[in-house]
Amino acid sequence: MQLFNSISTTVFDVLLAPFGHGVALFDLILWPALLGVMAILVYKAVSNQAALTRVKSQISMRLLEIRLFSHDIVQVLKSTGSILWKNTIYLGNHMIPMAVMIVPFMAVMAQLVANYAYAPSPTGAVELLHVKLDPESGVSSQDVQLAIPDGVALEVPAVKTADGQVFWRLRADEPGDHVLSVFVGDEIYEKHWAVGGDDRKIPTRRLRGIESFLYPSEPTLPAGGPVLSMEMDVHSRSLPFLPDGELGVVLWTLILSLGAGFAVKGVFGVTI
Amino acid sequence: MQTALRGLVLAVLLFAGGPALAANAPGIFIVGVDGMDPEILERLMSEGEMPNFAKLRAEGTFQSLATATPPQSPVAWSNFVTGMNPGGHGIFDFIHRDPATYTPISSATPPVDDPGSAIDFFGWKIPTSTPEVVNNRGGIPFWDVLKQRGVEAEVYRIPGNFPTPPSEARVLGGMGTVDVRGGFGTYTLYTDRPPADEDPKGDIQLVALQDLDLDGQAETATGVLRGPPDQFRMEPGQIPGTKDYLAKGVTIHLAPGQQTAVVEVAGSRALLLEGEWSDWMEVTYDALPLGLAPVTGTVRFYAKELGPGLQIYASPVNVSPSSPAVPLTSPDDFVTEIYEAIGFYYTQGMPEETDALKDGVFDDDDYLKQVALVQEDTKRMVRLALERFEPGDTTFVYLSDIDLQCHMLWRHDDPKYPDAPPHPAHDPATADDHRHDIERFYKDVDDELGEIRKALPAETLLIVMSDHGFQPYTRKLHLNAWLRDNGYLALLDGKRTGQIVVGDVDWSKTKAYGLGFNGLYLNLAGREAEGIVDPAETDALVAELSQKLEAYRDPEDGARVVLRVDRASEVYSSERRAEGPDLIVGYDRGYGASDESTLGEITEGVIEDNTSRWSGNHLMSPDVVPGVLLVNRKLSGNGYDLTDLTVTILAHYGIDPVQGMVGEAIRGISR
Repeated sequence: MQLFNSISTTVFDVLLAPFGHGVALFDLILWPALLGVMAILVYKAVSNQAALTRVKSQISMRLLEIRLFSHDIVQVLKSTGSILWKNTIYLGNHMIPMAVMIVPFMAVMAQLVANYAYAPSPTGAVELLHVKLDPESGVSSQDVQLAIPDGVALEVPAVKTADGQVFWRLRADEPGDHVLSVFVGDEIYEKHWAVGGDDRKIPTRRLRGIESFLYPSEPTLPAGGPVLSMEMDVHSRSLPFLPDGELGVVLWTLILSLGAGFAVKGVFGVTI
Repeated sequence: MQTALRGLVLAVLLFAGGPALAANAPGIFIVGVDGMDPEILERLMSEGEMPNFAKLRAEGTFQSLATATPPQSPVAWSNFVTGMNPGGHGIFDFIHRDPATYTPISSATPPVDDPGSAIDFFGWKIPTSTPEVVNNRGGIPFWDVLKQRGVEAEVYRIPGNFPTPPSEARVLGGMGTVDVRGGFGTYTLYTDRPPADEDPKGDIQLVALQDLDLDGQAETATGVLRGPPDQFRMEPGQIPGTKDYLAKGVTIHLAPGQQTAVVEVAGSRALLLEGEWSDWMEVTYDALPLGLAPVTGTVRFYAKELGPGLQIYASPVNVSPSSPAVPLTSPDDFVTEIYEAIGFYYTQGMPEETDALKDGVFDDDDYLKQVALVQEDTKRMVRLALERFEPGDTTFVYLSDIDLQCHMLWRHDDPKYPDAPPHPAHDPATADDHRHDIERFYKDVDDELGEIRKALPAETLLIVMSDHGFQPYTRKLHLNAWLRDNGYLALLDGKRTGQIVVGDVDWSKTKAYGLGFNGLYLNLAGREAEGIVDPAETDALVAELSQKLEAYRDPEDGARVVLRVDRASEVYSSERRAEGPDLIVGYDRGYGASDESTLGEITEGVIEDNTSRWSGNHLMSPDVVPGVLLVNRKLSGNGYDLTDLTVTILAHYGIDPVQGMVGEAIRGISR
């Protein structure tokens, strides 16, 4: 997963560089729209277009039957049953395209969320850093320590729980991309905290395993290591005309990519 | 139906009155300071402690403002809002009674005859009809009149506006607005030992710290945070029991020896030092699976004690202003507009957590820390109101602190009568630290007034007013016990004590009973379910009761207990008078109704010391608790009351009072 995230992040760092983070709308229009166009092309390539055309015609015929023979209840029931069955076949024809597209679609969405859904913590903000240990690792939360850089202050002593969680309450005294070092036995795990300054890619969570796919801003935590997750409270970024934060970016990406795909399906002769 | 009728009446009255008249009038900014007392204010101004008020007095006018009968906040604010007396608007007390059952009911919402219906669907109760819950306050609020005549009106935290009536004006309700449980605010305490109070009003959860990692130190406790009633599991009209509320798990992780803890609820966390309050945390309760019926609340936690014992306090779960489950404002989205401007804020009507102080869960320091949070909210809201204020508008802002702090802190040192004997609840161990707290809250309001004056356009009509003043509350009268001892109320089976609500009263021998803080009802034939008083005897009985109550003296020192008993037929207009009490008991300074009698309990004793921390009061005769009126205009008369102010606001824009308003325009303000 680390390799995938690294490649995805490198590619998007390049792709998003021209417009920067200041004007999010350029990228939030361009990339979802391109995603929709690419999705329609992929859909055309991997779906059985002939089967789709056939089953849609069959559904249309059954609908016509219902209209023409509405006085014949037996015929109406037969046609309705047939429509339900053909619909199932129709949906089944979408499984392969969906399976092919879901990974790139989610990757693009994760990158757009990482880059545009969050704002840096304001200077002076007080946030929680939360580290969760793998209970299988045998490491006690008491063995976890934190080293903080200049510009960050520990407000109160850490709370280390019996179920392997550690919480620190930190205050951002100075702006910067701070690196917090968490010592777990002999190992060091870093967590980044974006404070103040311009909008930029904001690290939120470090996870391990498949879930880290959704949080590409920081390296994946090593599988088999003692740390399950590292999380810093984040602030949602206000976006013009959209709900703030993750919800806004996810909704927008879904709507615009679907819209773009539907808009160009005729151009590319795609049957959906 | 009531809403539709109100709308129709409003439309007829207003549209018949003609087009907008308000084009060139300067705006009005009204600061409603609940409980500000003219004597305390006068003293502090003369001592130089309230320079902004003194300046306003010098530039304009300061005088006392007659309050309502009785001088209770919901009654007084309803007088101000509608320009009517209780006979017009129908709010007579905090507590009304149902004559069919003699049970106390909320004055804000009348009981519904039809609780609605539901069908059973695999254990879920799916409602097929729900009762319409309406605000019991009648009359037409001044903001509706203004809005209909083209004046923009914004009103922040006005008492008695929940359930929220529909309105074109922007109105946020205050006192009387419920928490997600549907009550006036139920706190939760997670503690490892029971509180001192035997009957606390909060949800007390005894929790045991567990040593989950077997390291010899117990550090984890769990509890629940109860939210709204589980309405899809309850029969229509069912009153929820303790287990009928939706709940979310709360986990508390302690750091032994470090006085820190993490509190987790519904995916949100706060790390607190002992003595700290958390920020607001959102909690969503799901009344149906798959998030089909979410109810979102907000809560903040207070780490009262993290060692050696454990006491974590959770505020009442407020209705979230970011996604309110019930309308808290008109229009519905005004509540969210405020949230977007100032962030989370208390939506509960009385956010100061007086119950925790009364129950002994909070000490004065805990309480004052919480009050400071409310003050912050108020300041942010007033700033917002000022930013939005445009010349020609009318804006009302409400400041609650003086009222509640006078209620709770009077026992430390009497701010009106410095030579008075110590209050029965006076504690010398804490009094020194809090002796001047009430004055401090007055000075805070003075600072606020200074900020307001800086921000307002100079020509704006500025009105600072209060609904009533304050007095000490040292002795409490058990009115129902007095009625029993004087032969007006009898209990079944020869008992001397009991409760109206559980059927202890022998109505066949009872002529009068007390319910509410100032209400005295006759057991009238044809009105009460088991009434025995012939309507023809009413006048004589009323006169007899009034005379005896006014003649009653405190057995301890011979002082007068009741200053004045008002007859409803003489002080209220007739429209809704029949819904209220027959007599309004106006206690003399220092006296008030006991909580027990207010809710219909008949106690053994008749009068006793008030040892509660609720030590200042205003539920007395209106003569002893007038409010204040300050205006940045020179007034030519005096003796005005709250209903005059309503009419004056309209008159400022050249608008005539609407039908039912009983006040008169104040000379010197109106055009």
